[in-house]
Amino acid sequence: MNPSIDEIIKQRRIIITCGTGGVGKTTLSAAIAIRAALLGKRAVVVTIDPAKRLANSLGLDQLQDTPTDLTPQIQEAWKKIRTTFPESALQSGLPEPNEMKMGTLAAIIPDTRRTFENFVNDLSPSPQVANKVMNNPIFQIFAREFSGTNEYMALERLYSLYKQDKYDCIILDTPPSRNTLAFLNAPKLLAQFFEEKLIRWLVLPTNKLFSAGMKKALSILERLTGAGFMTHLFDFANALFEVQINFTANLKKITSLLESPSAGFLIVTTPTADTNQEIQHFLKVLKEHQFHYDGAILNRMMGLFDIKTTPIGFESPFAVIRERQNRERQALENLVRQPSSICAKIPELARDVHSVEDLLHVAMALHHSALCSI
Amino acid sequence: MSSNPTSISSVLNRNLVFIHGKGGVGKTAVSHALSLSLAKNQNTLWVTIEDPTLPAEPIRQLGPRLWHLNSEFTPAFEEYASLKIGVSHLTRLFLKNKVIRYLAHAAPGIHDLVLLGKIWSERTQYSHVVVDMPSTGYGLAFFQSAENFSKLFRGGPLHRDAEAMLETFRDPYSSGHLIVALPEEMPLRESIELNEFLLHLFPKNPAAFLINRVFPAGPKGLNEWSEEIDPDFSAPPQSWKSPFAKSATDYVLKRAELENFNKRIWQDLGISFGELPYLPPPSADDPFALSHLLAEQLRNKAYV
Repeated sequence: MNPSIDEIIKQRRIIITCGTGGVGKTTLSAAIAIRAALLGKRAVVVTIDPAKRLANSLGLDQLQDTPTDLTPQIQEAWKKIRTTFPESALQSGLPEPNEMKMGTLAAIIPDTRRTFENFVNDLSPSPQVANKVMNNPIFQIFAREFSGTNEYMALERLYSLYKQDKYDCIILDTPPSRNTLAFLNAPKLLAQFFEEKLIRWLVLPTNKLFSAGMKKALSILERLTGAGFMTHLFDFANALFEVQINFTANLKKITSLLESPSAGFLIVTTPTADTNQEIQHFLKVLKEHQFHYDGAILNRMMGLFDIKTTPIGFESPFAVIRERQNRERQALENLVRQPSSICAKIPELARDVHSVEDLLHVAMALHHSALCSI
Repeated sequence: MSSNPTSISSVLNRNLVFIHGKGGVGKTAVSHALSLSLAKNQNTLWVTIEDPTLPAEPIRQLGPRLWHLNSEFTPAFEEYASLKIGVSHLTRLFLKNKVIRYLAHAAPGIHDLVLLGKIWSERTQYSHVVVDMPSTGYGLAFFQSAENFSKLFRGGPLHRDAEAMLETFRDPYSSGHLIVALPEEMPLRESIELNEFLLHLFPKNPAAFLINRVFPAGPKGLNEWSEEIDPDFSAPPQSWKSPFAKSATDYVLKRAELENFNKRIWQDLGISFGELPYLPPPSADDPFALSHLLAEQLRNKAYV
């Protein structure tokens, strides 16, 4: 049985959307949040996206680290669409304005650098230790570029929103990556960095306890990197050592939140020959982490257009559309053979999303009854 | 924006070509197609970076004059260490050391530096090396870390290597940067941002642009299709009432309008760009079939 987005919204306090770049994850995350708000939830959408695409589609120049309230815009857009697109509005599964207990919607694009600094401050036993960590050149590179940092900071932000109790539906749009699973591996990557036993080696005084092999290896490293780097490295390791205990505790809290029934995972994908494999792999990895899989959203579908005849003069674009429809049909045939829980199918958009109103159109298309077969 | 735009064919025919762009624009297919085209005449290496869908190292031959490297961190790191340390027992001791292994895997930037280093060192073995870069954000971080680490490792051989590498990437005679985009607004806007970032890193080596997946247009003159299209169709795309199309015909017409609108924005900015048509992948069983069609397009358009 395929669940609907609305059931997922009702069931989970946290919805995490995963998917590779270019599938429309950010747009759909915002649309889910809008749906949640219209269904009466106090919703917030969090996106960690260097390209600031969410800000764009929400019609704002730039979102900030503090939540931006979009409730009035949603209300206005919903009223407008009900008059301009009465039929679609009726079929959207969303309540009429008069019977509506409208929730709220906020959006956040966290400043990962600032989140990271707050994070280090929280973990550090004293402000001096925090300063020592943050002034280290290795940390500065780490904060900017470590491929797990953005992901982990997203989780940090998620956890703090969860604790605040200000929102009852938090949608986390995961950072873009080639690999859907990069996000899930981030805590492990960072945990490796904070691994106690290894940091301990670097903080030991460079004397007796070092084996000859260790001395040799570190001297080779020094020769390759130059002496300045080794000094920074030892300093950094010392500082890490002091925040390590708190980090491990923090990681544990975040992991158990993700494992709890409060959190569900969605995958956003486009129907291609690889889709089934992608979903099955995602399912398997979620299971290993003991996370809850809620379903897949198939986006950018051509198959939802009903084509009977090709209008004269349109042969070549229609050939492309038909070819893509065939592709999608094959992909879907593979999908239904295995558990995949498709919770929505969204047609390819004719143009970019520019406003809250546009996002509302996508939010309407997320409705279960929009699941026409192709 | 440079008033003298970089010609796409000049960039694509350089020794080392980096293919940049956001996720989903078709970087892998374009980079593979370019490699296929270049390999018609000269030895070419197609490089992907830790692509989980492709076989890992070592370099394998794909056809006449064409090789593929799916660059992976661990073998590249070991290779680099043995090159630098020289003595084999010291290399082994170094690589087996717990702390070194920890740093190699956990330290950010080392990873990027080593992968770029591997690509950089392979360039002398081939006439052309074509690199499918990771998607925008992460791909840029690659070059940025090389620069940061070069600063951090003041004095050591790593610093000298990082500097030499960056020198190659800055030099328009040795390497080129191609930005792949789609004819949609946000991907276009992002590629302009990407270009600015690249220009900041490599001011003397401006990138060329390629718009991928240009949808075939329908006929001109829309009146006879009026039942199927929106009445507000003649307005600019952002003022169409809904982002969705009402029918397939509506989609085709709007798509053509949208693409022309977006391409005009680029032309107005003085950006010159190449184009590749939208081609649905011809076969589900052969993921590379599309690249062969695109390679033909690259040659027909004399980009290669």
